[in-house]
Amino acid sequence: MGEEFTPKIVGFLCNWCSYAGADLAGATKQKVPSSLSVIKVMCSGRVEPSLVATAYLRGADGVLVAGCHPGDCHYREGNYYARRRFALLRNTIETLGLESKRLMLAWVSASEGQRFGEVTNQFTEQIRQMGPSPLRKALL
Amino acid sequence: MESNESSTSVLVIGAGIAGIEASLLLANAGKKVYLVEKASYFGGNVIKLEEVFPNMECATCMIAPKQQELLQNENIELLTLSQVESVQGSVGDFTVKVKKKARYVDMEACIGCNACFEPCPVEVDNEFEERLNKRKAIYTACAGALPNVPAIDAESCLRFKGEDCQACQEACMFEAIDYDQQDEEIELKVEAILVATGFKPFDLSKTSQYGYKKFDNVYSDVEIERICASNGPTEGQIILRSGEAPTSVAIIHCVGREEEGYCSSVCCMSSIKITHFLKHKLPEIKVTHFYSDLCIPGRAYQGFYEEVRENGVDFIRAMPEEVSKQGKGVVIKYKAEDGKENTLNVDMVILAPALEPENESAKLAQMLGIPQGNGGFFTEKEPDLDSSVDTSQEGIFVAGCAQGPKDIPDTVAQAEASVGKILSLSR
Amino acid sequence: MAKKIGVYVCECGNNIADNVDIDRVIEIVSPMRDVELVEKYRLLCSEDGKEFLKQSIQEHELTHLVVAACSPKQHELTFMNVCVAAGLNPYLFQMANIREQCAWVTTNKEEATEKAIRQIRAAIARVAYQDPLEKKEMEVSPDVLVIGGGIAGIKAGQLLAAPNRKVYLVEKTSSLGGKVKGFEKLFTDMESGSALVEKEIEKLLGNKGVEVFTDSEVDQILGFFGNFEARIVKKPENEEHNLSVGAVVLATGFDLLDISGLSQYGYGKLDDVYTSLEFEAMNVPGGSTDGKVLLKNTKPPQSVAIVHCVGREEKGYCSKVCCMYSLKFAKMLKSQLPDVKVSHLYSDMCIPGKTYQNFYEETKGLGVEFVRSRKTSVVQNGKGVTVKYETEADPNGELTVDMVILVPAMEPCSDTNKLAEMLGIPIDDEGFLAREHQMLAPVGSSVGGIFVVGCAQGPQNISESIVQSEAAAGKILSALVPGRKLELEVKTSEISETFCAGCKLCISVCPYSAITFDEIRRISVVNEALCHGCGVCAAACPSGAASVKNFNSIQIYQEVEELLK
Repeated sequence: MGEEFTPKIVGFLCNWCSYAGADLAGATKQKVPSSLSVIKVMCSGRVEPSLVATAYLRGADGVLVAGCHPGDCHYREGNYYARRRFALLRNTIETLGLESKRLMLAWVSASEGQRFGEVTNQFTEQIRQMGPSPLRKALL
Repeated sequence: MESNESSTSVLVIGAGIAGIEASLLLANAGKKVYLVEKASYFGGNVIKLEEVFPNMECATCMIAPKQQELLQNENIELLTLSQVESVQGSVGDFTVKVKKKARYVDMEACIGCNACFEPCPVEVDNEFEERLNKRKAIYTACAGALPNVPAIDAESCLRFKGEDCQACQEACMFEAIDYDQQDEEIELKVEAILVATGFKPFDLSKTSQYGYKKFDNVYSDVEIERICASNGPTEGQIILRSGEAPTSVAIIHCVGREEEGYCSSVCCMSSIKITHFLKHKLPEIKVTHFYSDLCIPGRAYQGFYEEVRENGVDFIRAMPEEVSKQGKGVVIKYKAEDGKENTLNVDMVILAPALEPENESAKLAQMLGIPQGNGGFFTEKEPDLDSSVDTSQEGIFVAGCAQGPKDIPDTVAQAEASVGKILSLSR
Repeated sequence: MAKKIGVYVCECGNNIADNVDIDRVIEIVSPMRDVELVEKYRLLCSEDGKEFLKQSIQEHELTHLVVAACSPKQHELTFMNVCVAAGLNPYLFQMANIREQCAWVTTNKEEATEKAIRQIRAAIARVAYQDPLEKKEMEVSPDVLVIGGGIAGIKAGQLLAAPNRKVYLVEKTSSLGGKVKGFEKLFTDMESGSALVEKEIEKLLGNKGVEVFTDSEVDQILGFFGNFEARIVKKPENEEHNLSVGAVVLATGFDLLDISGLSQYGYGKLDDVYTSLEFEAMNVPGGSTDGKVLLKNTKPPQSVAIVHCVGREEKGYCSKVCCMYSLKFAKMLKSQLPDVKVSHLYSDMCIPGKTYQNFYEETKGLGVEFVRSRKTSVVQNGKGVTVKYETEADPNGELTVDMVILVPAMEPCSDTNKLAEMLGIPIDDEGFLAREHQMLAPVGSSVGGIFVVGCAQGPQNISESIVQSEAAAGKILSALVPGRKLELEVKTSEISETFCAGCKLCISVCPYSAITFDEIRRISVVNEALCHGCGVCAAACPSGAASVKNFNSIQIYQEVEELLK
């Protein structure tokens, strides 16, 4: 390996908390890795397994799903479903040949701009250490 | 002087959670709402909190969607930096004069990039952050404050004190800074008025026995709320003024209760909430509560208290006699329930003060012709026997802590009740 | 029809222009499929920016719009309004956030530019698949059904009834007034409860818009906010009444915990041990003792113990109003029997609010005793009773008294569970009907259009119950305006009849119970009046039948593809 590679990370952010937190990160000029691409969904509970799988199949090295803290979901329970689905997905992606740590679930509230920066930087660094997704090499 | 002719308009004084809720409901019903707010931002006391009890829900996440909705609602005119000067007339036809202080920033032109802050040479204590950090003379209350437009504090600004400084204007790409802006007098004609001016905490400098402002590590709970806040002066890190994390905390309830003569309803729960938060951030921290009567009424609160207590938190039924300095921390002297004198050494003390009505309440009471009762809160028309949102003046209603100390759900219920009364006025 | 996507990149003064090479963005994005033009502008949200946009849309006859600028949370609505003004469906519009989430967080200009390009391309790919959604409205009934004829129900009826709005008030017993009717004195002014109730009932019945059904119960409620169908059954004939209403207010009140199971208090076994409601009844003129406080031996008591918090440990919550009415009892006793010795056994004095402490001080001033007891029980003592208590100073305290008043916890009334099931409202851990949102929607329930007020949702005093009734009225009056249709959420979920397998997974996950099962077609159907558009159903659906308008999987796939190219 040894090469410097820039991870491609797709983030699914929920409209109410995490997307607002990401905006606040911007308003407070945090540093967020540019390799993170953002998709807004109304609720983290919207993120279905096939979306996550597609991301990996299209070459994502890491996928981040961010939602409201448990108990704060704008739609009451959506993030609880996200949490359960995530637990299952982590196991499932291993069958695709992916390390489970390439999928991250984070709770970011609307006032946690700094935390959004921390989470995204941490995750990006983690993926950088792991190297490109094994699927990427298989697809090329 | 501006004026409006519509008589299906409502004036809401105070843009905290009560004012926001009422405004949204009234606007949805087709009323035009003038929401008058004294500060440069809106959200009142709730946006100063990181989390709210008993669910530990993020306060900003909870209230931000409502704030967004309000800002985008065409039926609601939010007048910040504004105060009511006079009220004439009666229900169905009040004439209200509002003084809108100059912000010196054009709200239409400003896009909220904050580029004007850095070049400002003036630094003063940030009141929103309980003076725990500084702000510039051109400022917003905190990151994420709405509306996202700064204001110039003319009292600290060099230019307004006579010097030739244009640093902020030069930094602004959008020509949004306007030193020539004037205070405005606005005349409104409304059919009803809702007073939702909220509360302020009891002035802790009136007490001497707890060492507030004397010792570094004695804090008020409002200061702690800002320290806990992820968008606050320490970005949510629990640290003493010396920069270290505390290992032991004493929380003293009922501060000011004797002076005020009433129980402020929410401080026990608020103290328990702070404990929950502290324990979450610093699991090893030792927390001791000093209280006289535990006030945790209703179906939702006892469970939370028990959860916190099980986590190694002590509740001592005693009001401390004295707090004095000892080493880096303080020592608390108290008489335990069995009558024996005791002491406790802690790194940090948090005081939970009583709730009082806002500063301008006396002036407002006179203007509106509504009496103030116990504690200076606005008196309801028929205490205990009827709705607490009616005042002695027909068409004037009161909601939230302006009427008496209470928690958020009761505040929201009163705001909604006021809407119910206002919407049935014209039957 | 061929698509013509207009892409506009906002410079946002220098906020975006300084950190993103906009010319390069234009260069790279222009050749994308269906892109008609890519233009930059200094400040799109300004008045002339909006005008420019509107003119440009019309001039180029654009079919779709992409604006790359600040966060949609800032200006999505602004540009949707521009679309409407330009004659373009506002749902054929997408924003790319290249300020908060790009220009402001990326230090390297090259990287920021590449990121902006990705996000804009994703927005373009997505918008091409978006549907021209239309606003939806629904006819509603402005009428209201109030269940429960106590003070809360009566007040709700008073406030809601109007010439253009009927209120149906259903009461289980044969008369209105609930519990308050039986309180001789109310704190803090010691006014008459029955007089208060009488006055309020008169005011209620004076209103022509109110129809009262006594000896009646609600048998069934179907439908949803704005359109409920309720069936009322009136005894003794079992007369059925079918009502169409827009909203329901549940005001079924409280009962005291049945403490006969708590043997340590001797209730039901020892003479002269009463519950608070029994003591209230004793004080009512015309009652069994004609308003006089008397023991079973018909003599007045010389000493009374009032035991607070009975059942609090079992129930796990504080019933809020009992300390105050216990103090009221002390005042009533002292007023009737000036020499009676009154002792309170309590754990914490719960007297929140601006006036209650005064009431407590006044009561103390009458020479009433207050004992802070950790554990209290009541035992036989010859012909009388002894109250055993535990304090810090006296772990084996004893107090011999003539009469004991037990103050039990408050529970929701016995019909609550049945009603909760009928209405689909969950019961919380403490047994009360759960609020829509603990803080921000105290009188709402999880079912839109059904409000819960008064003690049905938690112990509270009269004034608080009235405020809640008025709050429910406020919510109803705001939403259901006679003659006005209810505007519904546009980006709701929809379920394809073709692909739905009838597995009902979506129904089980929907937080708003917005999906029902059509037994005839054997498919799940979304009620657009209740759907909030969260998409939890779409994610759960194994066959992809459920999708959210303008947040469907195909649209999101487009974003994923473009972002990873």
